[in-house]
Amino acid sequence: MENNVSHALHILEEPVQYMALGFMALMYIIKISQMLKKPVPPEKAELKGDRVAGAFESLLNVLKPWSMESTRKNPFFYVEFMIFHIGVALTIGATFLIPLVPVVMTPVVSKVFMLFMGLAFLIGLRRIYRRLTVPEIRIISSPDDFFAITLMTVFFAVGFIAMSLWIQGSPDTGWMWVFFLMTTFFLLYVPFSKISHYVLYPFGRINFGRTFGGRGVMNKNVKNPSWNPK
Amino acid sequence: MSEQADRLGAGDERKWPTKSEFTPEMLKEMEKLLPGKLNRVVAASLSGCIHCGMCSDACHYSVSIPEDKTLVPAYKADRFRKWYKSKYDWLGQIFPSFVGAHKLDKELADDMYDKLWGACTMCRRCTFNCPMGVDYGMLVRAARGLMQQVGRVPQHLQDTVDTHHNSGNNMAVPRDEFIETMEWIEEELQDEEGCENFKIPVDKKGAQYFLTLNPREPKYYPLTIQASAKVLNAAGVDFTISSRYWDLTNYALFNGYDPDAKEFSMWQVEDVKRLGCEYLLAGECGHGYRSLRWELPNWVGGVPFKITSMMELLAKLVQQRRLKLDKSVWKGHRFTYHDSCNIARSGGIMEEPRIIINAATDDFVEMEHNRENSYCCGGGGGALAMPEFTPRRIAAGKIKADEIKATGADIVLQSCHNCTDQLKEIIEHYHIKAKVMNLAELLAPALVI
Repeated sequence: MENNVSHALHILEEPVQYMALGFMALMYIIKISQMLKKPVPPEKAELKGDRVAGAFESLLNVLKPWSMESTRKNPFFYVEFMIFHIGVALTIGATFLIPLVPVVMTPVVSKVFMLFMGLAFLIGLRRIYRRLTVPEIRIISSPDDFFAITLMTVFFAVGFIAMSLWIQGSPDTGWMWVFFLMTTFFLLYVPFSKISHYVLYPFGRINFGRTFGGRGVMNKNVKNPSWNPK
Repeated sequence: MSEQADRLGAGDERKWPTKSEFTPEMLKEMEKLLPGKLNRVVAASLSGCIHCGMCSDACHYSVSIPEDKTLVPAYKADRFRKWYKSKYDWLGQIFPSFVGAHKLDKELADDMYDKLWGACTMCRRCTFNCPMGVDYGMLVRAARGLMQQVGRVPQHLQDTVDTHHNSGNNMAVPRDEFIETMEWIEEELQDEEGCENFKIPVDKKGAQYFLTLNPREPKYYPLTIQASAKVLNAAGVDFTISSRYWDLTNYALFNGYDPDAKEFSMWQVEDVKRLGCEYLLAGECGHGYRSLRWELPNWVGGVPFKITSMMELLAKLVQQRRLKLDKSVWKGHRFTYHDSCNIARSGGIMEEPRIIINAATDDFVEMEHNRENSYCCGGGGGALAMPEFTPRRIAAGKIKADEIKATGADIVLQSCHNCTDQLKEIIEHYHIKAKVMNLAELLAPALVI
């Protein structure tokens, strides 16, 4: 599919987008380097398991809903979580694929993207409702929590509409403008928001995996633990 | 023996200056101390929460007291996180209320005190259910350490640490009294049939195992020492108990004050080296085991001996058939086992207790949540040393009481003295007909000698 857009939209799609992306990357580099500067607690105890294997296992936790009781008992919540995050990746990805490699965005591919955007939108609405109505969630929610989920939900809706117009042969629409403007805003805002949690995810998971992997809590089937009492 | 050599503890008589309220000066001091507490685990745990609420069903407080939503782990941790965000979160420094940041004021500090001392046992069950890997145990310990350093620490908990500092064990048992108690227990043991030659060696140089005890044992539960000694003798284990630093507890794990944690650990290390033992053997004590096995090497920078526990050693003895057991002794009894958080979730000992139990009985029923998924009984994190929070502690034990009741067991086994006391209290409070025992007490009567 050709990307036949106005010069103004082209500027929004490419130079502005790249600058915003560069800004986000810079902010993330600062954020990650700040975390890396923090001292790692030492581990001098004789280990019962493998800390590296524990860290890998822990990092993959996101793909193993059976590994935590909280996801094991809430499979529907986990499925929502997965669809929502795939929706995030595809929606942001679309704003790069459309200007850069529009040929990839065939009607079939675009419809798959739209399917996830639509589902993610519905899940977003449910998550907003949950945050507003479940007392233990409401009590821990900050304005940023509400803003982030609302922003994402609107983003999915806008993306869905812009994409549906796009596959109908109308690439240069007001919806597409809003879609790209929102992406730009995202790239600038996300490093400061809770949405950037994915940058912190590896830190938390690796810390967890190293600690409990080394202690043999996660690596129950380690064949040759370094420690074994006589 | 010279008076100097007989003197245990730090040598100075310390009484930590505790405070009943936060003052502006204390808050200012905490601000200064905060950066020193932010290692990578604590910083990632403070930054990483996404308020998804997945931890809300993981905590024994929030599950047992569902009407109080402020007991949800994320809410409790946020008392510390709000302050952290006001100083370190980019948006939190400009628009604090937008991200839930809040500067440290008296109201927030009071809330921190209430929730992080009195409504968290640092059991890490929420950590195991957090998609982001937030380590609530380490986060809460860091917050406690900050409060403790400015004097805002539960009095009885700090008294326990001070007593350990002043006298070398947390119940101020004098050395001569301890030796006498060991001699008396040895005599009692030798009065048992078939145990005439059994010994409780004190200060035996070159013994393989340096057995440590919880001070509650010589003070209130000498029969548990007798049971442990009986089992070790029956299996032919070469062990000794030191007359000096035999206390395996380390309540500085709970109050967050690392210099004391390190000091108590160092005493023990020096004592193991003095006797030239191969293993430091942690008795049946949850936080004591974790302190010795997993934290001590870090506090003192590594040790030249191995560290193990009674649970691991007993399981090994069972597997090596060094213990002959008669299961019929326990006929008619049903057992269940409570996994202490510091032994299982934070310690990695999950199968060993089951090996021991299955060797001694045929009627063992697991609780619904067991091993690393076990709910805290409510007695962890120093909770038993904070009487001001007792009603909440008992209420938080409801989920454990319900699970015990559901097994139909009349004997609850465990390997931790804080768990023992809490389980006894909740069993009585929730009208359960069961008694509480540790693993050596399970094995000792079943021994065929």
